[in-house]
Amino acid sequence: MQTVCEYCKSILVRTDLDLKKVGVVADLPPDVSPIQLQTEGVYKSKSFVVIGRILYEYDQGGWNEWHLLMNDGSSAWLSDAQNEFAVTSSFNASNLPSASALTVGQQFQWNGSTYALSVITKAHYRGVQGELPFEYWDKDDVLFADFRTPTRHFATLDYSDPQPTLFLGEFVEFDDLKLKNLRQFEGW
Amino acid sequence: MLRKLYLLYGLLIVGGSAFAQYRGWSLNSMNQVHNVPRSVRDNPGSYRSVYNSYHHYTGGK
Amino acid sequence: MSSTPPPPGPPQKPAAKALNCPQCGAAITLRALGQAASVVCESCHCILDAKTPQLEILQTFSKAIAADRPLIPLGTRGKLRGADYEVIGFQRRGTVIDGIRYFWHEYVLFNPYKGFRYLTEYQGHWNDVTVCKEQPIVETRVSIPLVANYLGEVYRHFQTSDATTDFVLGEFPWQVAVGEQARANDYVHPPRLLSMERTAGETTWSLGEYTSGRDIWSAFRLPGSPPAPQGVFANQPSPSGGGARQLWAFFALLALLLLGVIIVTDFSESKTPVFSASYHLNAGEPKGEASFVTEPFELTGRTSSVEVSTNANVSNSWIYLNYALINTDTEQAWDFGREVSYYYGYDSDGSWHEGSQSDSVVVPSVPAGHYYLRIEPEVAPNHGFLAYTVDVRRDVPVPVFYGIGFVALLLPPLLYGWRSWTFERARWSESDHPPMQLQKSEEDD
Repeated sequence: MQTVCEYCKSILVRTDLDLKKVGVVADLPPDVSPIQLQTEGVYKSKSFVVIGRILYEYDQGGWNEWHLLMNDGSSAWLSDAQNEFAVTSSFNASNLPSASALTVGQQFQWNGSTYALSVITKAHYRGVQGELPFEYWDKDDVLFADFRTPTRHFATLDYSDPQPTLFLGEFVEFDDLKLKNLRQFEGW
Repeated sequence: MLRKLYLLYGLLIVGGSAFAQYRGWSLNSMNQVHNVPRSVRDNPGSYRSVYNSYHHYTGGK
Repeated sequence: MSSTPPPPGPPQKPAAKALNCPQCGAAITLRALGQAASVVCESCHCILDAKTPQLEILQTFSKAIAADRPLIPLGTRGKLRGADYEVIGFQRRGTVIDGIRYFWHEYVLFNPYKGFRYLTEYQGHWNDVTVCKEQPIVETRVSIPLVANYLGEVYRHFQTSDATTDFVLGEFPWQVAVGEQARANDYVHPPRLLSMERTAGETTWSLGEYTSGRDIWSAFRLPGSPPAPQGVFANQPSPSGGGARQLWAFFALLALLLLGVIIVTDFSESKTPVFSASYHLNAGEPKGEASFVTEPFELTGRTSSVEVSTNANVSNSWIYLNYALINTDTEQAWDFGREVSYYYGYDSDGSWHEGSQSDSVVVPSVPAGHYYLRIEPEVAPNHGFLAYTVDVRRDVPVPVFYGIGFVALLLPPLLYGWRSWTFERARWSESDHPPMQLQKSEEDD
């Protein structure tokens, strides 16, 4: 709301806050991802570099999908939602449900693990950066289904195309990715 | 911390019990009298007991 | 149709204006926000009208947040789990249980590299909360949740409630608004608490670790002292820890040790009979000198106990013996009196008896040496002939000390067990599964 200028000690007052919202509705924090294009890291002993980004937005907030180029040439995605990170890559499976058949708690078997549907989100693009493995984008809402397990395994079903795409992966700790060339934050 | 304190306390108690047995302690109240003369063996009546004037209660309930 | 989407713009800079004195341009320092109707410039002493736009904004903001002032002010930074976090958001949530409304507070903490963390506070009890990456597995019976298994630990179901947000400040990772409602299922494994929150679209599991107010205050370097915790909280660790159980284990060990000591001392104590004699008394006889001395006997070995036993054929009568154990060499004596009485009869309740025909006493710490007994007997005046025997044994066990020792060993685990038990009762009395009432209590609703 207010802060003090280090040099002249004057108070700076924010004039853009909707005061009627104070106490009633929370603000969304400004874009806070520590990752940026050209950030480098290591996942499962394969090094990668961040070459693209998709910013998604939904009614409760937003998240980033960073496009990773692994050192063996393959693509992967680093999901960054409120600084919770997960690395996934696409996986071919035949038992994928249609968008209308989704219910929270449903279970599926993929690649030897059982995944339970935890969240269904309707989101749309808010912006893109860098290189991405597709050509065009749509302003409409797209359905995403997130799946969790008793371990760190994680899955997402992406319904941008008529046929859903399955991404399998796991939650990772920020420190485990050994990220370099991160975004600098003032005061941190 | 708690365990150590209790163990110490317990060992003291067990040790104390063993020591009490070794030294022959008892909970009975005794009166120790000194300088009992040899003449008591010949004349037991001359011994002045602390209980001389004591007469126990013999009444009923 | 294909077109390139706009790149996400640079992060929006918050819009701010400096609060300067309109007269002299000096920077204004505000101290009593929300209370000042006017502010005086420290440089030129002109008075700022509260209607100055920036001042007005600040005053309105202060009033709005005064409704529920966060204990940790927004913007404060503190060190938790080795990383610095900044308090960026605050909310108050409430729930209704048994018709009573309860409130608690939540703080959002942020570190650009470590992400988000939360602190919850209820009646002085604090929890350090993070979102779970792994999904706990819930076991239910007839769709009633019992336990949740998470990372190898079993959490017991504590409470199911509906939480409603009724005050929000600052920033949250999702758009929280007053009126937002979630169904919460809490499971505990002190000092941890698993909470599952379900809204229409989403289920989120989070793990809380009980933290003391003092740790929070020192982490955030807050002035003063934290509010004192009231009552027992769901995942508050028991003050004795697992202490009670450990004490019982130690008790078993010590009791065994005591038993060993009892056996060993019993074996090693000689209990040697050193003197035995029979006497008789006749109240009818002319009164001479009632006292007499026994033959001398020797007490050997280390300084130890001496047992003097009296057996008399009393029948609804008594005999009183004034004993003195006298050391011929040191002229030292132990003086004591013993009564042997035995009564019996028959009344409306049946037969009864009181007393005993034998008595024994232990003289403590008697050194070795030559001894004799001086005995002065006394019987009931109307009693006739009475025979009695006197036996002396050397080095006998005194069991009463073992009894005392055993009780003394028992006390700490008993006390701690009781403390732990009452603590757990207090904990669970706040839950959906309160313990059974021990005494009659008033029925509510």
